[in-house]
Amino acid sequence: MQNEHQIIGAVYAAKKDSQKADDLIRDYIPFIRSEASKCISRFCTEQDDAFSIAMMAFHEAILGYDGSRGAFLQYAAMLIRSRIIDYQRKEARHQGHISLYAEKNEGGPTILESLADTRDHMEESANRQATKQEIQELSAVMADFGVNFADAADHSPKQERTLDACSAAVQYAVENQALLEEMLRTKKLPLAKLALGAQVERKTLERHRKYILAMLLIQTNGYEILRSHVGSVLRRKGGKPV
Amino acid sequence: MRYLVMECHLSYAVVLTEDGRFLRVANQHYTVGQTVWDVMEMQASPAVSKGRRKAKWIYPLAALAACFILAIAAVFQIDQRTYASVYLTINPEVRIDVNRKNLVVGLTGINPEGEGLIAGYSYRHQPLEAVMDDLVDRAIEMEYLHEGGRISLVLDAESDEWAIQQSDALTDQLRSHLEDKISVTIEVTNSNIQSNQIIIPVDPPQSSYGDDDYGDDIQPSPTPQPTAVSDSGYGDDDDGQTDYGLQADSGYGSSAYASQAPGGSGYGNSGWGDSDSDADSDSGYGGQSGYGGSDDDGSDDDSSDYDD
Repeated sequence: MQNEHQIIGAVYAAKKDSQKADDLIRDYIPFIRSEASKCISRFCTEQDDAFSIAMMAFHEAILGYDGSRGAFLQYAAMLIRSRIIDYQRKEARHQGHISLYAEKNEGGPTILESLADTRDHMEESANRQATKQEIQELSAVMADFGVNFADAADHSPKQERTLDACSAAVQYAVENQALLEEMLRTKKLPLAKLALGAQVERKTLERHRKYILAMLLIQTNGYEILRSHVGSVLRRKGGKPV
Repeated sequence: MRYLVMECHLSYAVVLTEDGRFLRVANQHYTVGQTVWDVMEMQASPAVSKGRRKAKWIYPLAALAACFILAIAAVFQIDQRTYASVYLTINPEVRIDVNRKNLVVGLTGINPEGEGLIAGYSYRHQPLEAVMDDLVDRAIEMEYLHEGGRISLVLDAESDEWAIQQSDALTDQLRSHLEDKISVTIEVTNSNIQSNQIIIPVDPPQSSYGDDDYGDDIQPSPTPQPTAVSDSGYGDDDDGQTDYGLQADSGYGSSAYASQAPGGSGYGNSGWGDSDSDADSDSGYGGQSGYGGSDDDGSDDDSSDYDD
């Protein structure tokens, strides 16, 4: 019973602090692995996808736990089970298809490798390195604004319509570089101007402030790879008559 | 869909989708900067569970409020429901709807005159009797109802009891309301039972009576006047007293009157009020012998007018 109280206290602390969440998860890795093993009916190593899913499910359990609705560990176990089942169903859709990563014969090259090796692995590796560097730079700038990627993910628009509204605001800022410069200089998001310029409800932008900040920072100079990755959004918006 | 891994944590990774969303996904041994094609998205978010918790107590509360409003509405509805209708026909014809408590809940003009009669009249929260009186007054004002006119009431109710009870009550009410003003015939019909006609005796068609002094006397002070007139009438015509009782019983046909008292024409008029209120006339007459004398002027006027 005492133990249960401790866990609940730790869970509530972890809800707000991602560092504490990580600590809590690390403490419960054996529990997570045992639950995952039960689900896949074999020993689960840390290399298994099921283990990753179980870790994520445990984190979900931390965020979604409500003390008035029962014990935490039962809840976490239930979430882990259902997430792994979800994952297995998703994977089952690919049954009958051969993975590109499948090996043609035991120990041989994968299908992907034998198909057309037009890609330069060295260059790919270099690209990944460059991308990583860009992301780290972006992360540092975002930290100046007090935002990290997890925040952006939490405030990311879910609905298509909201996404369109946010994209319109970003598009407007791209067309008015002065706004981006002003933002970098003042470290403040010019929400009022964005809402006015893009004809979007200010409330919508307010709700996704951290997300829009991240997207705008990507649009500032120096993040070519990231910009090209999300380029389709702006092209799509740009194609529409405003 | 390509996902660019932005940030890796112990239990999850943040990826950037091509359509510009950041997602928390299961960290399947990703490294920052890696591009992946298939992710397992994280679902729970603290905001969702908070919203659910808030909604929990709101539902019973909302249900309770809805029940409360329904109950209140039902109570008012009962009060507003039409229990019976009275069709008041002079020439204007109007329908008066009343509820169980005899309060008027609806007033409809059936013919154009009826609509004219009720135009601008507010019947809200008034008892049936008051509305009837007001409407009759308005009819007189608008000159629909004249001396010797006829008011027809048709009572339409689900319960006969109400109709019977009201047919007497309404007649009495209207009669006492109108007796000071004009004489009319009131006819009450129950739509369920056969009609019963109550005739209020109408004055003999003597041309001078209504037009001249009598009417004038009445208008400024309607209440005291009838007694005075009736008393004076008695004083005037002592002989008539026995006749009077007779006449009242016999229903007071105008023709009978005319033949019976050719000389004391004043009596008949004044006696009219008496027939309605016997007590008044009796006490006034028998008790106060000097009465007639005090009102001599008036009575003289009357009689002289009649003689004309």
